[in-house]
Amino acid sequence: MPQPQPQTRGAGGSRGALRWMLQNVVWLWLVGLIVIFGVLNNFFFTVANLQNILIQATVLGLLALAVSLPLLVAEIDLSIASNMGFSSVVGAMLLSGTHLPWWLGMLIGIAAGALIGLFNGLCITRLRMVSLIETLAMMIILQGALLAITHGNTITDMPMAYDWIGQANVLGWPVMPIIFALALIAVAVVLRATVFGRSVYAVGGNALAAATAGIRVNRIKILAFTASGFLSAVAGYLLAAWQMAITSNQGAGFLLYAIAAPIIGGVSVFGGRGRVIGILGGVLLLTVIHVGLSIVNVPSFYVDMIGGLAIFVAVAIDAMRVRLSAGAA
Amino acid sequence: MTAIAPGSEAPRDPILRVTGLTKEYHDFAALRDVSFDIRRGSIHGLLGENGAGKSTLVGLIAGMRVPTRGRILLDGREVQGLDVKAAEQAGVFLVTQEPMIVGQITVAENLLLGHWPQQGGVINWKELRRQARRMLEGTDIDPEALAENLSAVNRRKLNILRALFSGGRLIILDEPTAALTVDDRTVLFDFMRKLREQGITFVFISHYNEEILDICDAVTVLRNGRLAGSSDDISTMNSARLSELVLGRDLQLFERRTAGVAAPTEAGFRVRGVKAPLVDIVEFAIRPGEVVGFAGLPGSGAKEFAQTLFGLNPAETGVMRLATDGGETPLPPGPPEALARGIAYLSDDRRRDGLVASLSIGDNLSLSSLPVLSRLGFVKRRAEAGLIRRYFREMGVKAPDPAVSIDTLSGGNQQKVCLGRLLATKPSVLILDEPTRGIDVGVKEDVHRMVDKLTQEGLSVIVVTADLGEMSRVVDRVCIFSGGTIVETLHAPDITKERLLKAAFNRRDARALA
Repeated sequence: MPQPQPQTRGAGGSRGALRWMLQNVVWLWLVGLIVIFGVLNNFFFTVANLQNILIQATVLGLLALAVSLPLLVAEIDLSIASNMGFSSVVGAMLLSGTHLPWWLGMLIGIAAGALIGLFNGLCITRLRMVSLIETLAMMIILQGALLAITHGNTITDMPMAYDWIGQANVLGWPVMPIIFALALIAVAVVLRATVFGRSVYAVGGNALAAATAGIRVNRIKILAFTASGFLSAVAGYLLAAWQMAITSNQGAGFLLYAIAAPIIGGVSVFGGRGRVIGILGGVLLLTVIHVGLSIVNVPSFYVDMIGGLAIFVAVAIDAMRVRLSAGAA
Repeated sequence: MTAIAPGSEAPRDPILRVTGLTKEYHDFAALRDVSFDIRRGSIHGLLGENGAGKSTLVGLIAGMRVPTRGRILLDGREVQGLDVKAAEQAGVFLVTQEPMIVGQITVAENLLLGHWPQQGGVINWKELRRQARRMLEGTDIDPEALAENLSAVNRRKLNILRALFSGGRLIILDEPTAALTVDDRTVLFDFMRKLREQGITFVFISHYNEEILDICDAVTVLRNGRLAGSSDDISTMNSARLSELVLGRDLQLFERRTAGVAAPTEAGFRVRGVKAPLVDIVEFAIRPGEVVGFAGLPGSGAKEFAQTLFGLNPAETGVMRLATDGGETPLPPGPPEALARGIAYLSDDRRRDGLVASLSIGDNLSLSSLPVLSRLGFVKRRAEAGLIRRYFREMGVKAPDPAVSIDTLSGGNQQKVCLGRLLATKPSVLILDEPTRGIDVGVKEDVHRMVDKLTQEGLSVIVVTADLGEMSRVVDRVCIFSGGTIVETLHAPDITKERLLKAAFNRRDARALA
């Protein structure tokens, strides 16, 4: 039975080129900004600056991965940034009062973060709480808890060994970005090659269909939130070790960038779509904007505003891309 | 090519005349040289497979697209090249499958949406209600009700009324009976007949020959973008003739023959004492290779019992026994357990809980088999690729390759993918809930043949369908449900549409389907 369907023409000519550019807009935007910042200040091209960018990208990058997992199952976790501060202070406080080995404090902190994620997941699936509000409440609770625990003081008495990872170099390269690279690879492998990862995309794309196809939707969501909490806590440990300090509002200011990065990188806010390589692009783009603006001596009063504008443009271009590919279908 | 029924002559006063209408996209003609007339004050059926050009044709008439060649005359005046707004001003309205209704406001507000009577920006509620009440006269719709509380059929009515309020004279209804029950269909058809008497003209798009024959005065059939046939007098048509025009060949309707198959007496699958919401079944059994139909009105328990077997409407009590694994066990609490036991279920609504539109054809095919295809949580890539290739080919999915997004497929091909996903789990009991709803005649017969072949290999199949003509052709036995229990069972030679109608539905429903 012949079924004629409108043929989509192969990508050719200027329209095809335009589409290619829009598909890769994060990377083009990134290259363009690097060139601009480099021209404005040659220091931007030095190895030291590159390392700095990658170090700064590590904490944001882990948080962006932590945001992405709930986004992929069509939920959202707003508590990641405050989870980062809270879980690290749990570990650090244990270390300051007792003679526990540093690594045990770190692990307990990370476990606390993962448990918070698990709790979020249980509330959202078993109690059917709306993730936007549940995690918003969790965010406020954890922010408050951090302030209560620290009494507004900054904690700096972590052991040297605890702080090592934030300062260390291996063969002249900082360790932090290596952790980021490992996390990217791990998340990419989980999403692409495991039953869990494949289920994540199915649940985010159509939860009802996934359930009818035999996927345990609630379990997948709980796992996604737990992994999100785990990654936030790892980010929390790295941030504390890098700063060698935990302030009473540790992690404040990270949340919105951590949400913006994956969305710029093509993770759908409606779930089911998004790849790790895009998340990396989004994270690097935001970090380059942030570092670049300070290097070219933009007065700090303007950095946030210009950074916001850059994100705005990136998202506007992305919206154009979506419209263009929808029009072609 | 033309198959214009003999004896039909062009109506003298057509509200719409289309001549030589052609629409080309790049190197592909979606519509080629189509000409026909629509008589004023008639209900004109438009029939054809997906991709036959129905949507293109009505899109051109409603001003959503511009024709490449050809003329569209409304009341004898050229109208091609109008946009949607201009077409609506001329009185042509397209009512799509997705009713454009705002759920959170009242029926009255919806009815006059965009035309609320106002004075200096303040809504004149009294006037609004007065106008709405006048429009709704003779219907059972409450103008003050929230639109989201309307039944499916009243939503359809509301959309039609809205088009009329805006000055619609030619209303195009794109598959208005999709998702309507038999009862609702009758109500909608009565409503349309009443409006026809007031001089309103309808174009009625449907997949069902029976509906076209029931409600329409005239019919136009499209095939592969061309006019396959047209008749100005529906009484010269019958269902077989329509199917032939749709498919372009003498369609061999599938008829299941069980006489030749030696029926094993041992039940392959048996359940006892099943209690679940809307379900109360003492006992039900099905043999390997048997096809059993479940029939009944909505809420009768037919669909609910089928879903209980798959764990979608979880059983409070009840045990099952599969011949393949012996002992009695509780019914599956959910789909994962059901699939693991060899019970598979095809959803009645592909878009809602069948396919994952954001995934590729291949990912949709392997979705239910991932646990079997994995080791230590990792999907075995080569095994998965093999499974995808196999079922992509066996189901005859029409797509360049399995990596293509499933969103690009026609409804029939999407259904094949959903079915392929289930067969890949190697079930011993297959439950098909409205398996051919909204898919073309050709694909429908493909699905029936495929299922029939599987039963010869010992698969037990349960079919839930409201299409009784289809039911009578494809099953060995029909269980008729009412009040959550099986009230009557018909066996193969005695299963006719008429018997089914009598058993399952009251006379008013019977009229709508017969």
